[in-house]
Amino acid sequence: MSSAADGIAVAQPASSGVSAQIEYCYARGWTDGLPVIPATRPLVDAMLAAARLDGGTVLAEMPSRNARLTAEHVAINAVMAGCRPEYMPVVAAAVKALATPEFALHHVASGLSGSTIVVLVNGPIAKRLGINATNNVFGPGPRANATIGRTLRLLLLNCLCYTPGVSDRATMGTPGKYTCCIAENEENHPWEPWHVERGFAPGQSTVTLVAASSMLQVWNYGTHEELLYAIGDALSFLGSIAILDQSPGAVVLCGEHAECLRESGWSKRQIREFVVAHTGRRIADLKRAGRMDREIADGDGSGMHYAMDTPEELMLVCAGSATGRLSMVMPGFSMEKKAGRSRTILIEE
Amino acid sequence: MLEKAGIPAVPVITSVFEATANEMARLWGLAGFRFIMMPHPLANLAPEALDERAGALVGPVVTLLRRGQVA
Repeated sequence: MSSAADGIAVAQPASSGVSAQIEYCYARGWTDGLPVIPATRPLVDAMLAAARLDGGTVLAEMPSRNARLTAEHVAINAVMAGCRPEYMPVVAAAVKALATPEFALHHVASGLSGSTIVVLVNGPIAKRLGINATNNVFGPGPRANATIGRTLRLLLLNCLCYTPGVSDRATMGTPGKYTCCIAENEENHPWEPWHVERGFAPGQSTVTLVAASSMLQVWNYGTHEELLYAIGDALSFLGSIAILDQSPGAVVLCGEHAECLRESGWSKRQIREFVVAHTGRRIADLKRAGRMDREIADGDGSGMHYAMDTPEELMLVCAGSATGRLSMVMPGFSMEKKAGRSRTILIEE
Repeated sequence: MLEKAGIPAVPVITSVFEATANEMARLWGLAGFRFIMMPHPLANLAPEALDERAGALVGPVVTLLRRGQVA
């Protein structure tokens, strides 16, 4: 089968100069706009060896793009993104997560909402590779965070033809589309980490993808109930693309907020139920904002619509600095209730 | 997919998605696949305007169904 992914190849520039090699990649469109590392054969082979992968191994089938991603394709893009070889097992798991049907990659990658693909890494590999889980967790700095996330974007651009303005039709896009990878802070955590909740052992490492069309920081120095009330509000802002179809959201709790919730003694279930119960918007307000058709009617001032209806689908993760009371809220990704969150995939080391 | 299953189908898109649709057809090995285009946008049309838009499509849809994708 021919594959759209075959457009990428090991770089064979005529000139050995570094800048000429970078320009060679630019000339072929193998870039997210930033310079890439030319993927020469030795670098690609080192990437494959680190994950004990044969280049021909198919890591993901992408029927919506008529493409299959082999380990060779993935390794080339990992080199171009700047990954160290030891990151390759994480990248390979993330690619498998991209292909899970529940993630609905085509919707995520092509849609007007232009979502960030958040790569969440759990388990001991995060610390071993230096994947940041604390200060400035969504910001720049650590190589592992920057390059693992960037590899997925380069794969979308170089192998899956999600070219901006052609197959990627984002109206605004997000800065997170360049790269977005975090680890969960499993050391400062009121409950079991995300991957354990999903049935994995604490000693296993995993990847989960979350599509985020919006990321809102919730600043709150209140009690646990006040904090959770504010989070419910952020999950249900009137402009949220997901508000009508109850697509589940995700919350990344900073250290002080996690501590506030730990001190409350509330279980994860109690927290989820409280938050979801506070994602309600008045029907009248939804109509004023043009999110629902027809004139405001009697009862719309008190009638409510909830942005989420299933507490167990609210994803709760801990990351970010231990200092400050700012958590990150990612309302549901789209108008499809079940799209935008991958299965949690085991990292094979 | 419907065409592959032997069911005649006519894709309808709004004009701003022409390049996107052509790219999708190319990836599927169907370069030159025919679409019917209508003006953009669609999402904010009132029901009456939607009906009018649909009515205008009937002729082109029937023509393309009769003609088929193969020239």
